[in-house]
Amino acid sequence: MTMAATAAPLEPAAESYLQHESGIRSWLLTLDHKRIGVMYLVAIAASLFLGGVFALVLRLNLWRPGGGLVSNDAYNKLFTLHGAVMIFLFVIPGIPAALGNFVVPLQLGAKDLAFPKVNLLSFWLYVVGAVLFIAVLVAGGIDTGWTLYPPYSLEESRGLGILLALAALFVVGFSSILTGLNFIASIHKMRPPEVGWFDLPLFLWALYATGIIQVIATPVLGITAAMGFLERLFHLGIFMPEYGGDPVLFQHFFWFYSHPAVYIMILPAMGIVSEVVSVFSRKPIFGYRFIAMSSIAIAAIGFFVWGHHMFVSGQSSWTNVIFSFLTLLVAIPSAIKTFNWLATMYKGAIVLATPMIYVLAFFAIFGVGGLTGLFLGSLATDVPLHDTYFVVAHFHFVMVGAVLTAFLAGLHYWWPKMTGRMYDEALGKLSAALVFAGFHLTFVPQFFAGVAGMPRRYATYAPAFQRDNRLSTVGAFVLAVGMCIALFGLVGSLFRGRRAPPNPWGAASLEWTTPSPPAHDNFAIPPRANKPYDFSGLRFISEDSGWVRTGREGAR
Amino acid sequence: MVSERLAAPVLGAVPGYMPARASSVAEGVDQVFAFIFWLSAFFLALIVVLTVVFVVRYRKRPSRLEPEPSPSHDLRLELLWSGIPLALVFVLFGVSTKTYSRMTTLDPGAAPLRIQVTARKWSWWFDHPGGKGAGELHLVVGRPTELVMASADVIHSLYVPDFRLKQDVVPGRFTRMTFTPVLPGTFPVVCAEFCGTDHSRMSAMATVHPDQASFDAWAREGVAPAASLVDLGKKVFLSKGCVGCHSTDGSPRVGPTLKNLWGRSEKFADGTEALVDESYVRESVLRPAARITAGFANVMPPVPLDEREIQGLCAYLQALKDGP
Repeated sequence: MTMAATAAPLEPAAESYLQHESGIRSWLLTLDHKRIGVMYLVAIAASLFLGGVFALVLRLNLWRPGGGLVSNDAYNKLFTLHGAVMIFLFVIPGIPAALGNFVVPLQLGAKDLAFPKVNLLSFWLYVVGAVLFIAVLVAGGIDTGWTLYPPYSLEESRGLGILLALAALFVVGFSSILTGLNFIASIHKMRPPEVGWFDLPLFLWALYATGIIQVIATPVLGITAAMGFLERLFHLGIFMPEYGGDPVLFQHFFWFYSHPAVYIMILPAMGIVSEVVSVFSRKPIFGYRFIAMSSIAIAAIGFFVWGHHMFVSGQSSWTNVIFSFLTLLVAIPSAIKTFNWLATMYKGAIVLATPMIYVLAFFAIFGVGGLTGLFLGSLATDVPLHDTYFVVAHFHFVMVGAVLTAFLAGLHYWWPKMTGRMYDEALGKLSAALVFAGFHLTFVPQFFAGVAGMPRRYATYAPAFQRDNRLSTVGAFVLAVGMCIALFGLVGSLFRGRRAPPNPWGAASLEWTTPSPPAHDNFAIPPRANKPYDFSGLRFISEDSGWVRTGREGAR
Repeated sequence: MVSERLAAPVLGAVPGYMPARASSVAEGVDQVFAFIFWLSAFFLALIVVLTVVFVVRYRKRPSRLEPEPSPSHDLRLELLWSGIPLALVFVLFGVSTKTYSRMTTLDPGAAPLRIQVTARKWSWWFDHPGGKGAGELHLVVGRPTELVMASADVIHSLYVPDFRLKQDVVPGRFTRMTFTPVLPGTFPVVCAEFCGTDHSRMSAMATVHPDQASFDAWAREGVAPAASLVDLGKKVFLSKGCVGCHSTDGSPRVGPTLKNLWGRSEKFADGTEALVDESYVRESVLRPAARITAGFANVMPPVPLDEREIQGLCAYLQALKDGP
């Protein structure tokens, strides 16, 4: 055992951020990015649970072709709230607000984000938005689909529900904008002086690209919600044909935000994958610059592809052709990332811990999600597949499959840092296996149903589709069991888990140089800048001490 | 087709599960589908095989505690796996767009069958030439067809899986769908844009007649002359005040004559031109001030007609045209 090993901190820090202050106020009004991250995590997990329960009821109703478990109207309200809650309260804020909030300042070697008070405001705006969504439910729900297309969504007969939903989007949008703004400012200004852009962990590059989309695209969502609100109340004639408006205009506004929003979801997931695949292959990430630049490329191209949601809306064929080409271009940065991740594993020493298992699942799921996007970006095939279950399956592969597996990879990866406890590996791996199997059983049959012509948002369906729907329903419950096991393993570790060393994985980025969980101020002394993927000086000491740097320090 | 035979075990496991190829573009669409399917299958297999092989060969174990030296980047390799997808994207874009252009243009040949479609919650209505309106769509094998579609309430989407075609029906404008049926039989027409309670039950049948005679026999049967669209249009013309300013014999009055108006290119006071079609007629009726025909004054008030009345007016205008 070397000198450095004996110097490794064997005791947890005297006072972690969890013990720094106590009482409910110290949490609800905290300016500590770590506590805000934990609060976001709890809120987001609650949203995931709610959205998941809606999904299970939907799947049960589709067990029989004639439906019948709930009325058609109730079904329509359930899929609307399932979509709205999952997208706006779980997938969009999920990785950036919960994991990003916790990790960004630590990876920067900083005490906190650039604007701690704005960070707290962002959290409370999220809570207000979530409460408004609950109010929609209490007000009787809405049955417009999460896409809220007028004229259907703004019909006179609609009551308070639609106004509350538009208000919720407006408020939640600001929460997202503020998070993005905070990350951009922090990554620009709070790096240690000697750390250049290309010395940053790729998770930060991904969140930077995400922040740009959040700041530029989300205001359009807010404006659209505000216009819808005013149209419904005052009949301004923006979207409603009966007052001289154009319903297709709404679709342009809506997708100008909501397509880049898909990249708000997937870019942070890609960031997590880049971290985990390198750490658990014990090798530097392959092609750092190509991965970093492809995040920026996806963010940039992502702004010019919204029209592919409107290929059959009646917009001109030439417009469709241009949007089709731009959409297909997204395949290139996605392919670069995928092959660079695979090349990272080449000749590595691959450790199959739970985060890595989830990342392996991500490769397959993102592969299917990305490749099925080709069918929908190509015009000839999109026309028949548009608004069918093929689309439902495709976007669930990207938004649920890929984002959820990456989220769970990141959650297990940073869990020891967040809580100071090691989760149970056996339960983690079991959950990953069930999530993988359940996910495919749920969504692969939906591709078949879509190709065969089953439209989406159907409370009832032709008997020919019964086989696919039943497989899908069974799969949804397997997926739910997998999620419950993941939750059980993580929460259980808070009580039974082994104490986590500062660096349980042998990772080289800065968050692993501080105790688990970190102290209130993150670092006792400003950490020395290092290369985030240089594992050469790290040695494994023991389960209790984790990995420590020996010999050359990996410093620049 | 080879790819079809290969894909059959995957996609057609249940007989009758896959929709038929009942329009002239269906086969082309399926070829593009098969091309992307095998392209995707190749890349997915590559990703999965590499993942599995790397995990098996390079997993950490007592005999392999450290990674082997290997490059941390390789410009040529990375350009290769940027360039190959880029080239494939160009090929895919070209193949798909070529087929798409066929899907959006009327096939040449016999005079097209023009059918007016009205969508409303939660039913379809089809006005066929000759005045036969029905809740079902009737077509003829080999006869190019154009659907001119309007919605009476919210956005719907006309989708015929067996034709591989879909088009939204948007209130406040007309949308079109063109195709040529190639198989006789009956095929479901469904709604693909969410429209409320019975969205999933908003369906109709499309009957493709084997020949024109069979279609004509159907179209004649049970048509009360008064029910035809042309008559509806004439009634609108006479009862809504149009007759006060527009003639039907070719003589200009306060407004332009309606004789031979349909299908011609109309010149406007601002120098622009437009084809007189459904969209133009709708605009002229609902917002007459939007475009003023050259040589006439801006005096016409808006006339609030519903979608079916506008379609009737269009049918009447077509009847006022000399020759085909």
